[in-house]
Amino acid sequence: MGVGRSAGRGARLGRRGFLAGLLAAGGAPQVGWAALGMPAFVSGARLSDGATVISGVSAAGDILFDIPTPARCHAGAAHPRRAEIVVFARRPGTFAQVIACESGDVRQELSAPLGHHFYGHGAFSSDGTRLFTTENHIEGGGGRVGVWDVGAGYRRLGSFATGGIGPHEILRGPGDVLIVANGGIRTHPDRGREKLNLDTMAPSIAYLDPGGKLLEEVALMPDMHQLSLRHIAVTQGGTLAVGGQWQGDPWDPPPMVWTHRRGGPLAPVAGARSLGTYVGSVAWSDGETAIAATAPRAGVALMLDPEAGAVWRAAMDDICGVAPRPGGVLFTTGTGVVLPVGRGAGPRRELARQWDNHVTAIPCAG
Amino acid sequence: MTHTSLPWGVSLVCAAALAWFPAPQAAAQDIPGALTVITEQFDTLNDASKALAAAACDAPDFRARYDAAFDAFVAVSHVGFGPTQTDDRFFALGFWPDTRGVTQKQLMALIAARDTIADDPERFAKSSIAGRGFYALDWLIVANDGDADYRCALTHAITADIARMTADLVAEWPDHRAEMLSGAGAYTGEDDALRALYTALTTGLQFTAEARLGRPLGTFDRPRPRRAEARRTGRSLRNVAQSLVGLEALAATLSDGDAEVAAAFAEARDLAGGLADDPVFAGVATPGGRFRVEVLQQSVARIRVMIQQGLGPQLGITEGFNRLDGD
Repeated sequence: MGVGRSAGRGARLGRRGFLAGLLAAGGAPQVGWAALGMPAFVSGARLSDGATVISGVSAAGDILFDIPTPARCHAGAAHPRRAEIVVFARRPGTFAQVIACESGDVRQELSAPLGHHFYGHGAFSSDGTRLFTTENHIEGGGGRVGVWDVGAGYRRLGSFATGGIGPHEILRGPGDVLIVANGGIRTHPDRGREKLNLDTMAPSIAYLDPGGKLLEEVALMPDMHQLSLRHIAVTQGGTLAVGGQWQGDPWDPPPMVWTHRRGGPLAPVAGARSLGTYVGSVAWSDGETAIAATAPRAGVALMLDPEAGAVWRAAMDDICGVAPRPGGVLFTTGTGVVLPVGRGAGPRRELARQWDNHVTAIPCAG
Repeated sequence: MTHTSLPWGVSLVCAAALAWFPAPQAAAQDIPGALTVITEQFDTLNDASKALAAAACDAPDFRARYDAAFDAFVAVSHVGFGPTQTDDRFFALGFWPDTRGVTQKQLMALIAARDTIADDPERFAKSSIAGRGFYALDWLIVANDGDADYRCALTHAITADIARMTADLVAEWPDHRAEMLSGAGAYTGEDDALRALYTALTTGLQFTAEARLGRPLGTFDRPRPRRAEARRTGRSLRNVAQSLVGLEALAATLSDGDAEVAAAFAEARDLAGGLADDPVFAGVATPGGRFRVEVLQQSVARIRVMIQQGLGPQLGITEGFNRLDGD
């Protein structure tokens, strides 16, 4: 894995150090992102002693804080206004933590309702009053979106169907439309992470209104039904980038990156065959001109112009996390690398930790 | 395929692999040497492709030129980095396996329509990769569909397109090679170039074992001889042998000329040589014929385990954190 060999110890501040710094700076509750040492990103990580944390990372790649988590996390969602993030357990986990970044405290623990588990992703409404989480209804196997009332202390309001099985990433698109990647793969916690329906899986992209009404659903051609559509990123104008994971013949995969606009079909992005059969994350670059896609198994990251194909590529072991940053994107790897790319990008950093699948950009920072 | 699923004893494999386990301070992966091997293989591919494109489809030596160019491609087809990936170039040169039969569908449609794309190199270069490259030739060379003149024009369109791509490849390679040597561009980490070479080697061995040999083998109850690679032009076994030639040259540089690795390749080569009477693996349908192909497959799989256990730990490559996550 290489973590033990990593050269840099990084500028990791313990939580105590972080708190001391905050106190010295007169940190107070209820501050917004801008009042902080400004983490530009958050990501789950595993430290070299095996402990799992959620880390705040500055634009330059410094660790601002590490908050312990009960188990391995997957992705986070940043509240659009408050200095607050929600980090979700890796599936089939049932916990999520609401973390107040002005104190580094876990403000609240959310638990998936009995009979549900999280899939690792969530999204806030644009006004920040609702949190939406992708969930599995364990016995029925149907995908659900859990709805939480943020103002009422993340009170559970209920859930609605995603229109598919195995929903994974969820985003808020333009006009507060929720976009859900229904990966199509049925799992059951009793069977671990075993895939139970590969022959019949039917992934889709679903657009839903915040009340759960299915506005539009789009799928691939039947001969590609084993391409699990799992990770998505959307532009302000509503162009969706989709990254897939292929469950069919490993040596004959279909295109792994697609785009979609409401009302049209999914369109393949050419020039991305080197991603292999497994895309870990997708993000639009700053300026929304290119899709960044990571392939941890192939050890490849690409920047793809939707029309012209790959315009940049890197060979990096276990590369997975990617998020937009001003001027480009930032990548993280399971070997501890933080790699900013694009205009104004600082140097590559290598820290003694394993970055988990997804790095989340804090929209108001920087 | 994991080694635990193989019938031979894992402990035996481990013992063999441990014999080749250079101490870290003695690590002498010859990256410049590996890149020189690849440079020579690219040049051979480009020269042979040029010669193929220069031949008329009814020239007496067309098949020989086709075989020479296809040989050269297979010997370097495992190199999955740098300019082989520009515009999905290596996938366009080598679109196989084709589980949905897209190559045949596409070529039959062109032939039925007498599509003018055959005389339009620019349009052809932008057409779907399934209808281009060496596996399109494998189908077309023995096809009887449509009329011979159009098939000949289409054959030339494919060979010219192959030669264009290999010329671009050779033109772009020196810059990429320099980046790999200096740790620039895509190779910012100290081991990135070595990891890319390691991945090419292990993935190439896996492809030969699982796809080139594994696809025709199918299962014992359902062997699939018609899935053999480039079967129509009789190249299935030849491609296995050529892939081993290319992989062995790379493995020799990455293992510092290790004798165990060389012996493992020699064994696979001998086993492939022993199959000369079954060039398209038709024998997989019989228990005896099947056994011989399986033994070759296991031999190739064993080389991969040896490389993984020998070189993998030196590179700090273990199971991966996100790689095996499945999310």
